[in-house]
Amino acid sequence: MTSHQFIVASPPTDAISTLKFSPDPNSARIVVSSWDKNVYLYDLRDENGKVGEGKLLQKFEHRAPVLDVCFGENENEIYTAGLDWDVRKIDLNTSEQTVLSSHEAGVRHVVYSREHNIVISASWDSTLHIHQPDAGANPDSLPIIVPLPSKPFSISATATKLIVAMASRALHIYDLKALALLTAQADGTAPGGNRVEVEPWQRRESSLKFMTRAVACMPDDAGYASSSIEGRVAVEWFDPSPESQARKYAFKCHRQTAEDGVDVVFPVNTLAFHPVFGTFASGGGDGVVALWDGISKRRIRQYQKYQTSVSSVAFSASGQHLAIAVSPGFEDGHDEVLGGTVKIYVRELGETEAKAKGPK
Amino acid sequence: MGKKRRGPSLEELLDRPWCYYCERDFDDLKILISHQKAKHFKCDNCNRRLNTAGGLSVHLSQVHKEQLTQVHNALPNRMGVDIEIFGMEGIPADVLKAHQQRVASQFQQAELDRQHATGNPPTGASSGGQPAKKPKLEPVSDLKKRLAEHKARRAEALAGGSSGDVTPSSAAPSTSTPGGYAPSPQVTATPQYSYPQPYGGPPAGVTPHFSQTGSPVYSSYSPVGGQQVPGASPYTPSGYPSPFPAALPAQPPVSYGAPPFLQQQPPPSDNRFTGLPAASNLPQRPAFAVPSVNAHEMQQMHMGHVPSPTPATSGYSNASSQATENVSAPVDNQIPGAANDGAAKTEDITKPKKEKTKPAVRLVYNDDTLSPEEKMAQLPRYAYVPDKSTQTALSELPGNAIVGAIQDSDTVIDPAH
Repeated sequence: MTSHQFIVASPPTDAISTLKFSPDPNSARIVVSSWDKNVYLYDLRDENGKVGEGKLLQKFEHRAPVLDVCFGENENEIYTAGLDWDVRKIDLNTSEQTVLSSHEAGVRHVVYSREHNIVISASWDSTLHIHQPDAGANPDSLPIIVPLPSKPFSISATATKLIVAMASRALHIYDLKALALLTAQADGTAPGGNRVEVEPWQRRESSLKFMTRAVACMPDDAGYASSSIEGRVAVEWFDPSPESQARKYAFKCHRQTAEDGVDVVFPVNTLAFHPVFGTFASGGGDGVVALWDGISKRRIRQYQKYQTSVSSVAFSASGQHLAIAVSPGFEDGHDEVLGGTVKIYVRELGETEAKAKGPK
Repeated sequence: MGKKRRGPSLEELLDRPWCYYCERDFDDLKILISHQKAKHFKCDNCNRRLNTAGGLSVHLSQVHKEQLTQVHNALPNRMGVDIEIFGMEGIPADVLKAHQQRVASQFQQAELDRQHATGNPPTGASSGGQPAKKPKLEPVSDLKKRLAEHKARRAEALAGGSSGDVTPSSAAPSTSTPGGYAPSPQVTATPQYSYPQPYGGPPAGVTPHFSQTGSPVYSSYSPVGGQQVPGASPYTPSGYPSPFPAALPAQPPVSYGAPPFLQQQPPPSDNRFTGLPAASNLPQRPAFAVPSVNAHEMQQMHMGHVPSPTPATSGYSNASSQATENVSAPVDNQIPGAANDGAAKTEDITKPKKEKTKPAVRLVYNDDTLSPEEKMAQLPRYAYVPDKSTQTALSELPGNAIVGAIQDSDTVIDPAH
C-alpha cells in the first residue's frame, strides 16, 4: 500500500477479535487475540529498534476463541477473555496463566484500569466481573459481580469512568473509584456472596438507533464515541449539563453506494482514540479506516480500503503508530476464513497525520 | 423544411472527450479534466487536486511520504499509475481504439433498437440517405412530367381558391385529417406521399391509413425499387399497426423504447397532445409516454405538488384512459406521503421506486439482539462447552465413553457363550 505501512509477519490463522498496543510509549509490542484460540504477542521492532514488519514473540493457546485482550500494569502482563467463559491473566515472562474468574457465558471484553488497579470483564451473561489483579494468586480475593440490564457489547475505561454499552441501546457509565472501593471491600466477605448491585453514575440511551458496536473514551476523560452496526458514529460528553449534552452529535460513515444505487451500510466495528491528539480512528466492515476530529467534526483522512472488514484498530501509546487488524467474514460469520486474508497492518503516522487540522 | 435532428451522430459521439480511468464521456474537455482532478487525481490526505497520476504520486511521496499504487475510482484494469493521463492525452492507442469501437457498437446497437422500436429509418439514413435516394427514384423525364402536372394543379387550385395547400385537390376531400398533420416531423414521408398521389390512384378510403396509401404508392412509381423498399418497409409493418386510427399516423406507437427519439419529438407531439383531447380514443394514443408524464407533472405542479424526480413508468400511460383519474392518483398518493420525508413520498407511487428509495439503505449486518461475535460464537467450529470438573478438552470424553460401552457389551456376550 504505502511505504509507511507494514504487514505484520505471521498473523493469526483465523479472524482477529482485538489488537492492543503496549501501554509503554517506548515499546512497539502488540497483543492480538484471535478466533483461532490463540493470543499472539508481537514486537514490531527489529534488532536495530526500527519498527517494521516485526516478529511473533509468543503465542498463548486458549481452550476457545479469544475475544479480547488487554495489557495490565506493564507490558509483561496481559488479561484475556474469551468463549471459554474465563478471564485470565497471563504473565508474559513466565507464560504462566491464571484464571481470575469464570463467567456463565462467553466473555466479550476485558479492560484494565491502571489508576485503580482493577480488571473489569464484561460477559454475555449480562454481568461485569471486577477483579483485583492478584485474584488468581490470592484465593481470598474474589471478583465482585455487577449485574447488567442487558448483554454488554463493548466497554471502555478512562481514568475515572467505565462505559458499558449494552444491548437494547442501553449505556451505563460507572464511576471507577466506586467500583474499585467495592472490590477492595469484597475481599474479606464470604465467597459466593459477592454479587453487588451497583448504581451507575449515569444511565443513558444510545443516541444511535441500532445496536452499539463499539465505545471508546476520549483520552482527556471528557467524553466518548460510540458506533453502531448501521454505519454511524456518535460523539458524546460525560458532563450531564445541558450545554455539554447539546454538543453531542452523530454522523454517518462506512457506507458505500452499490451499483444499483442502494446505500450499503457497514457496521463500524472498532473505535480508538489517539492518545496525544484526541482524534479517533474508526474501522468498518467495509475495510475502511478513517481518522476523525471529534471536536471540530471533521474527517482528517481516510485510508485506502483494505480487502476485508476491519475488526480492530489501535494507536500506540506514543501515538506514532496505528495498528489495523483486518479479517474477513466478521459480520456474517458464514464465510470460511481463507488463508492469507487475516492481516495486521501497522501504519507509521506522520507527525501531523492524526492531528486535528482545525477549522479551515 | 428543416430536418429534425435525431440525437448525436456517430462522429459526434466519437468526438466526445472521455475519461481513461472510468470510461465516462463528457461534453467538454474542461469538464473531463476537472472530473479527473476531482475523482482520480485527488489526494485523500489533504484534498489537493493534482493534474495527473504522476503529479499525485510525487505529491504523495513528497508531502505525505506515501506511495501511490493505484488511481482512485478507476476501472479495475485502468488503475495503473505508470500511464500519464491528462484529459484525453496519453491514452494508449489500443485503449483508444477499443473505446471507439465500443462507442461505435453501442451507437449501432442503439440505432438498431431505436429502429426496431420506432420503425423509423436510422439516423444516418434519414438525414443523408433519403434525399440521396430521391433523385434515383425518379428519372428526369418523370420529374419534369410531374412538375408540369403539379404546376397545372397548383394553378388550378389557386384559381379555384380551395386550399393553399400543396395537397392535390383530388386528395382534398379525403385529407381533412392528414392536412392537420402535414407539417409534422415526418417530413420524409409527407412529400413523397403527397407527390405521387395523382399517380398512385385514389387513396384508400376517407381515412388515409398511412401504411395502406404509402406502400402502394412507393411500389407504383419507383423504378429502381430495390433501394427504397428497405427505407420504406419500416413504415409499413411496424409503424402503423391497426390499433392506431388515422387520427394519429405520424406518431410511432412504441415510443417508450426509444428515449433519444422522444427527446427530439416533444414540440410536435406536444402540439398534437394539446390538440388531441377532442379525438375519440385517448387510451391508444401511443405518444403518451414521455410527453404525457411531463404534462402530468405540470398539472401536479400547478396543483402545488412537487413532481417526482424519476420518470414515471409505463404504468402511467396504460392507466391514462381518463386524464382526470390519472392525475388524481398520484396526488392521492402524495398526500399521505407528504407527512413523511421525501423518500417515503416517492416510494408510494410505483414499485420500482420502492426498491430504490426505501431500501436504499442495506445493512450489511442487521440483527439488533445478537452481536456479530455472538453469531460467530454459535458456529460449530467455535463451539465450546465449558467443563468445570476437568480442564481437559472435550475430545477425550467421548472416547472414554465409547471404550466403556464396548467393554460392557463384551462382558454381556461372553457369559452367553
